[in-house]
Amino acid sequence: MTARTASRPADRARLKPTTVVWLLPAAVLLAVLFLVPVGYAIYLGFTNLELLGPFAQNFSFTGLANLDRMVHDPVFWLSVRLTLIFVIGSGIVAQTVLGLALALLGQRANVTVRTSVGAIVILAWVLPEIAVAFIWYTFAQAGGTLSYLIGHPTTNLLTSAPLLIVCVANAWRGTAFSMLVLSAGLRNVPAEVDEAAQLEGASYWRRLLRVTLPIMRPTIMTNMLLITLGTISDFTLIFVMTQGGPGNATAILPVYMYIEAFQFNALGYGTAIALTIVLIGALLSIVYIRQLRPELAKAKEAE
Amino acid sequence: MSVLTGVRRRESAENAATRGEAPPGQSRRSRWVINLIMGLIGIWFLLPLAWLLDAAFNPNAGPGLASPQLSVTNFIGAFHTGAGRDIANSLYLAIVSTLVTTAVSLLAGYSLSRRHVPFKGAVLVAVLFLTGLPVTMLLVPIYEMYVAFNWLNSPFWTSLVLASTSVPFAIWLLKNFIDQVPREFEEAAAIEGSGELRTLWRVVIPLALPGVLVSAILTFINAWGAFLIPLVLDSNPGQTPAAVGIYQFLDANAQVQYGPLAAYSILFSIPVLVLYLISSRWLQGGFAFAGGIKG
Amino acid sequence: MAKIVLEGVTKRFKGTTAVDDLDLEVEDGEFLVIVGPSGCGKTTTLRMLAGFDTPTSGSVMIGGKRVNAMPPKDRNLAMVFQNYALFPHMTVAKNLSFGMKIRHEPRATIESEIARIADMLGIEPLLGRKPSQLSGGERQRVALGRALLRKPQAFLLDEPLSNLDAALRTQMRTELQRIHRQFPVTTIYVTHDQVEAMTMADRVALMDKGRLQQIAAPQAMYEEPASAFVAGFIGSPKINLIPGRLRKTGSSVAVSCLSCDIPVNGSAGEVLRNGSADELLVGFRPEEIRPTVVDAADLPVVTGTVEVIEPLGPETHVVVRVGEETLTCKFPARAGLSVGGSIRLELDVAQMKLFDARTGDRIR
Repeated sequence: MTARTASRPADRARLKPTTVVWLLPAAVLLAVLFLVPVGYAIYLGFTNLELLGPFAQNFSFTGLANLDRMVHDPVFWLSVRLTLIFVIGSGIVAQTVLGLALALLGQRANVTVRTSVGAIVILAWVLPEIAVAFIWYTFAQAGGTLSYLIGHPTTNLLTSAPLLIVCVANAWRGTAFSMLVLSAGLRNVPAEVDEAAQLEGASYWRRLLRVTLPIMRPTIMTNMLLITLGTISDFTLIFVMTQGGPGNATAILPVYMYIEAFQFNALGYGTAIALTIVLIGALLSIVYIRQLRPELAKAKEAE
Repeated sequence: MSVLTGVRRRESAENAATRGEAPPGQSRRSRWVINLIMGLIGIWFLLPLAWLLDAAFNPNAGPGLASPQLSVTNFIGAFHTGAGRDIANSLYLAIVSTLVTTAVSLLAGYSLSRRHVPFKGAVLVAVLFLTGLPVTMLLVPIYEMYVAFNWLNSPFWTSLVLASTSVPFAIWLLKNFIDQVPREFEEAAAIEGSGELRTLWRVVIPLALPGVLVSAILTFINAWGAFLIPLVLDSNPGQTPAAVGIYQFLDANAQVQYGPLAAYSILFSIPVLVLYLISSRWLQGGFAFAGGIKG
Repeated sequence: MAKIVLEGVTKRFKGTTAVDDLDLEVEDGEFLVIVGPSGCGKTTTLRMLAGFDTPTSGSVMIGGKRVNAMPPKDRNLAMVFQNYALFPHMTVAKNLSFGMKIRHEPRATIESEIARIADMLGIEPLLGRKPSQLSGGERQRVALGRALLRKPQAFLLDEPLSNLDAALRTQMRTELQRIHRQFPVTTIYVTHDQVEAMTMADRVALMDKGRLQQIAAPQAMYEEPASAFVAGFIGSPKINLIPGRLRKTGSSVAVSCLSCDIPVNGSAGEVLRNGSADELLVGFRPEEIRPTVVDAADLPVVTGTVEVIEPLGPETHVVVRVGEETLTCKFPARAGLSVGGSIRLELDVAQMKLFDARTGDRIR
């Protein structure tokens, strides 16, 4: 029934006035509060706009001055490094590995264990980010549970190993998403292939590495893409926990951008930093999409 | 065909685990190890949450775990610092942005699903592209615009920004859901004399309701937890949403008030938890989606 | 109630012509059945009448008004869809009242109308249920009820019986005819089933590949098909179409088939003698081929082998192989035949149809 209706060729192509009216609210909202700001941002990134003072009103286009400043700004390059470590370390590596581990373990674990651990992991993910930031801020404090666990109850881990702590906190927060996506992907791997490999005498790890994971490649890639895009602009967790510090030890790009723009007054420069975030995100997306291209082409053919 | 039998067979491994048996090809000892490892991971996830619960009910809460008590002093303290007011602000932001996003995206998503739109393919790609744009990029230009129009420190205009950043994903989600609704029902409604709006409201939306609710709930959760945008656009005391409120409370005193903050955090988290529980049935299907597989 | 006219209506989709230059006039109150094989354009025609598709060229007139650009909701038609299209999230009562609410009918009227229709169609106990809780036949009746409540200019029915089982289908056919007698509204009924066409229609319009092949009353279409296609489509079991060659000997004309020479007289003979048709199709309906023991002098007789015997109760269908051709014949029951046996058949030449093998047009 549905197939019959769906396969009817579309009637003559004509733009109806009601369509325009119905598209208008979204178009206006997006244009005014999304597209125009995007364009404006691209312009502002090349100005000397400031939050207060003379350049708040009378700012001007400064060409590549901000770019020049960025290139020579050691904190900027530190920030880029930190961002990459944060995204790759806590996002791609930690969340994907942990998520995959939980998905694989969950397949074979006792149902009570699977359900309860799953619920806890998801609970960590559903909590608002500010709550997670506060919880881990406390967790890592001197006298907090983590410091007890590692036997140094007087150390403030947030000052002694800040980057590590925020990475761990972010992994704690985000693993559930990978767990769910990869579980679904795992369920879609035909068991026959795995069983054929078993008959050939392949061990569990070999089967995992040579059979299961390659089949799940598109799922894993898509998952990584989504994690990357989500993590690269993540602000709340780190800002609330460390404000980018101590010093600049955890000043990933979004935090650095905020500090430059709204604490050090340099709105134009801050925007330039924000544009860099978009650029890096776009580059990484292209890398992922390249990886996914054979699968996308196959899916298009199947349609 | 092989995928079908594969899925069936894999499920039997899980089913065996459900029944409490070891799945075929697995020793009892290895199963014990698996459960142990998973349990340990679970405990690592549980510890911080356990502290939160412990501290919220402990009037003398510190950063470490203490013996559990049951006192509501912290909750009262949280309200004294403005938790009630801030949560109400969060509610306002979330509700307004959800209503605006859902209404606007329904109309657009339906049009993109059913009607002829010039360059529809390009529009859909653009919408998908917008869903991936980081919000940080919009911060400064919108701030400047809001200064110019004097829209700063307005919960309403702040919620509109939240709405606009949620719209691309909502349009994409709703369009895909509406695609699944057979067009026959709209044709039958048209024959009965129903105009387009009435058909949308009385026929299409009820049939696409799971999708509409998922979209609304996701938008709500997103707006509820919004931090950076309200921080920049609306940080007047008394107007801040709870996310910013908790941050300001954390920063306010030299001596961190762990107890009240823990209570505040729990209060702030409950609505989101409830919403997630309600919608988890619908969201499960969505994760196969996100994995790029036909769920 | 209205007269419907299609003038030169053509509908082209990307790459295909679904309906090709269709001229059709449906009288006020007439029950017209549009029938044809899959893809012949009958559903597209119906959808253009409803307003879901716009003609590429030509005019659609309902009640004298040209409605090409008029949206479906303003056409005051009623439609029964193949899959009924009952709103799944509404109860039967709400489905029925949907249209009346749009017309702002008063609540009392709505309730009395629903009661009336429910009584007429026997769906009273179903009013509080949702469509998913109904059987196919029940859903069909609710769809019918929804259409009847509209009091429309015309009814459009899109293969409404195709999802029902055979027994229910026969029952609903009678019911639909009864309803039409009670409410003689112009009705356009689309189906691929020629039995439905024959039993229900005032007139039948047969379409193939987007073109109208013939429009006539059922019996007339059966007895006087305009082409080989029509002859082959209408009538079950199908007419036997045997290739034949024209033989002109002097002033007489005969068609040669099945190792017989059958003389063709009269006007048809004239046409053949003067025309260029050479290859012919000879048509005998199954009931026009009878077993014979004693040869009648004027009827051609052929001999063949019985291949298949299908006893149907009141009659028996027999497939006989004659030379290279197979003939399907309708015999009285208990014909006393056995598979593999030899049989002599006489051909009722008086009823014989002749078609030009190249164009399909009927010559005799």
